[in-house]
Amino acid sequence: MSKLLIALLLCATPLAYAHETALTKVAVQTDLPTMERGADTLMNNCHSCHSLKYIKYRDLMKLGISKQKVDGWRGELGLDTPLLAQMSESDALQSFGTAPPDLSLMTKARDGGPDYVYSYLLGYYLNASGVPGNHIFPETKMPDPLGVSGTSDPAQLNSIKDQARDIVSFLNWAADPQQSARLRLGYYVIGYLLLLTFLLYLVKNQIWSRLD
Amino acid sequence: MPARIMKWIDHRFPLTNFVKHELTGYPTPRNLSYWWNFGFLAGFVLVLQIATGIFLAMHYKADIALSFDSIQHIMRDVNYGWLLRYMHATGASAFFFVIFVHMARTLYYGSYRAPRELLWWTGQGLLLLLMATAFMGYLLPWGQMSFWGATVITNLFRATPFFGDQVVVWLRGDYTVGDATLTRFFALHYLFPFIICAAVVIHLVALHTVKSSNPSGIDLAAKDNIPFHPYFTAKDLYGLGWFLIIYCIFVFFLPDSLIEPANNIPANPMQTPNHIVPEWYFLPFYAILRSVPDLVGGVLAMGLSVMMFAFMPILDRSRIPGGAHYRPFYRWQFFLFIIDMLVLGYVGYTPPTDSTLLLGQVATLCYFGSFFIIPFVSRMEERWLIKRGLPPAVIELMAGEAAAIERHKQSHEQRKGARL
Ligand code: HEC
Repeated sequence: MSKLLIALLLCATPLAYAHETALTKVAVQTDLPTMERGADTLMNNCHSCHSLKYIKYRDLMKLGISKQKVDGWRGELGLDTPLLAQMSESDALQSFGTAPPDLSLMTKARDGGPDYVYSYLLGYYLNASGVPGNHIFPETKMPDPLGVSGTSDPAQLNSIKDQARDIVSFLNWAADPQQSARLRLGYYVIGYLLLLTFLLYLVKNQIWSRLD
Repeated sequence: MPARIMKWIDHRFPLTNFVKHELTGYPTPRNLSYWWNFGFLAGFVLVLQIATGIFLAMHYKADIALSFDSIQHIMRDVNYGWLLRYMHATGASAFFFVIFVHMARTLYYGSYRAPRELLWWTGQGLLLLLMATAFMGYLLPWGQMSFWGATVITNLFRATPFFGDQVVVWLRGDYTVGDATLTRFFALHYLFPFIICAAVVIHLVALHTVKSSNPSGIDLAAKDNIPFHPYFTAKDLYGLGWFLIIYCIFVFFLPDSLIEPANNIPANPMQTPNHIVPEWYFLPFYAILRSVPDLVGGVLAMGLSVMMFAFMPILDRSRIPGGAHYRPFYRWQFFLFIIDMLVLGYVGYTPPTDSTLLLGQVATLCYFGSFFIIPFVSRMEERWLIKRGLPPAVIELMAGEAAAIERHKQSHEQRKGARL
């Protein structure tokens, strides 16, 4: 009976949900240099259109990015300003017909999570008549931000793939800045509970042995 | 000094007596298996949900312009806010998991049978309250799935005869799910857990009147009872340890596996998500709703599917003592029913296609069918078992019980005789 119930729990989680187009898996990184590169690319290539409104400049410093870099990005803005898009929403609406979504929760807001964002960024191609399209999100209004569709040089393509991985890693942090604290605490909690449960097992046996 | 205080209190309030009768000394069958841990676990999760919920409410804002942001504020800025929120969100799933196991145990061992019908029906009431609380809580983050889930479900009340449309507006407080809906759902989501607490007290009063059933499914005479404390306090705490391990694995390592990705997008009334799914614990019932092509029929079927459990004491006509353990046909029915629930859950989760629609309709028929055939199967099974002879284990148990009751009566008579 227990197996069936666990199966009920598992088959009901979103893990079982498959995306229509196969997504490319991305190895999300958590080291500081990757974060810094990702933030850099994001500030240069995406920040013009997209906001990260749940992230403040101070959060970037807390992550470990140097003050110098952060100061370069924020200019006159205070440390507690959220990362709003440089383009106003009405301008964006006029140019693209749709507002670029906020990216702070993006890796959690799509089926497939980081894999989706990675595949989407690299999914651009030029069709036979030279019109750009996207395999993952065919009707997207976003112009190819990393320039994959026009690139055929393998070395350059690889560096674009690295860029995409760095961006996705950074976005993965932005979606859940407390993740590393959570995992760290999690190991202690599980360790403690295993010990506690073992002791409770001994106590229970001790008490029940009185009945024999 | 403490003894004197206790004496002072007991003179005015039956504290010692209450603790002795209802908590520490409560007579409990010694053969209860670990399946009997889940009632206690449900109580534990209720406390956990109330505790985390109250602290979340200190930081949450029930306003459609602010609620999504306030959740992110809790997740990012509030000290250990992420822990509170993940504990509460995971706790909702844990609550249903524990309650489903608790119900499955009752069904398997026939604990709903006389004299425990009222106990079972108060439990049914608790299930309805829990479902309402979870449904309203799911609107509060104001994500896409929150909004569209609430829209779809409140819309079902259109099926009410004569003034369906008015009922929908009355429930939402507006023509669409909006600020009025959010604030009332928040108010009720805060209220309902306390109503649940009161209902739990009633459930426990009923339990302590009829006492726990046990895996044999036969009411055992007092000889096999042991005091709740320390035996079952120790066993419940050990079970709690395992529960907490699994719960914390979800809280710390897989918290997002229980949150739909679409709920990380703020609610947008102008844009329907391409696939609206409820939380996993509602999936079988949602599949039944979708399997009936007609709105009124679907709503009736879904409502009835939740309420079917309440008919069990009436449907089960077998007088054979013991749970599914001693009843081969009923046991088969039980496991097939669990499989059917899983199939319905799967159908509720996948986007509707012709084949899943058909599968859902067959599974819905099986769902209701398995309840409707119980009176006939249980009667037939009874006759079959009597003809074939009851399992020796049951006969032995019943003989043992009869003897124990007889002995008890005799010693009672003797004592009475001695007094005269
Ligand atoms: C020229 C403006 C512009 C730039 C620069 C830009 N985007 Fe976008 N982006 C958009 C627009 C517009 C949309 C909305 C697309 C739609 O819904 O059709 C969008 C949508 C997205 C989406 C959501 C896709 C979905 O599933 O809805 C992601 C993820 C994304 N952008 C990531 C990025 C990243 C990463 C960068 C930087 C490498 C970037 N964008 C640069 C305009 C831009």
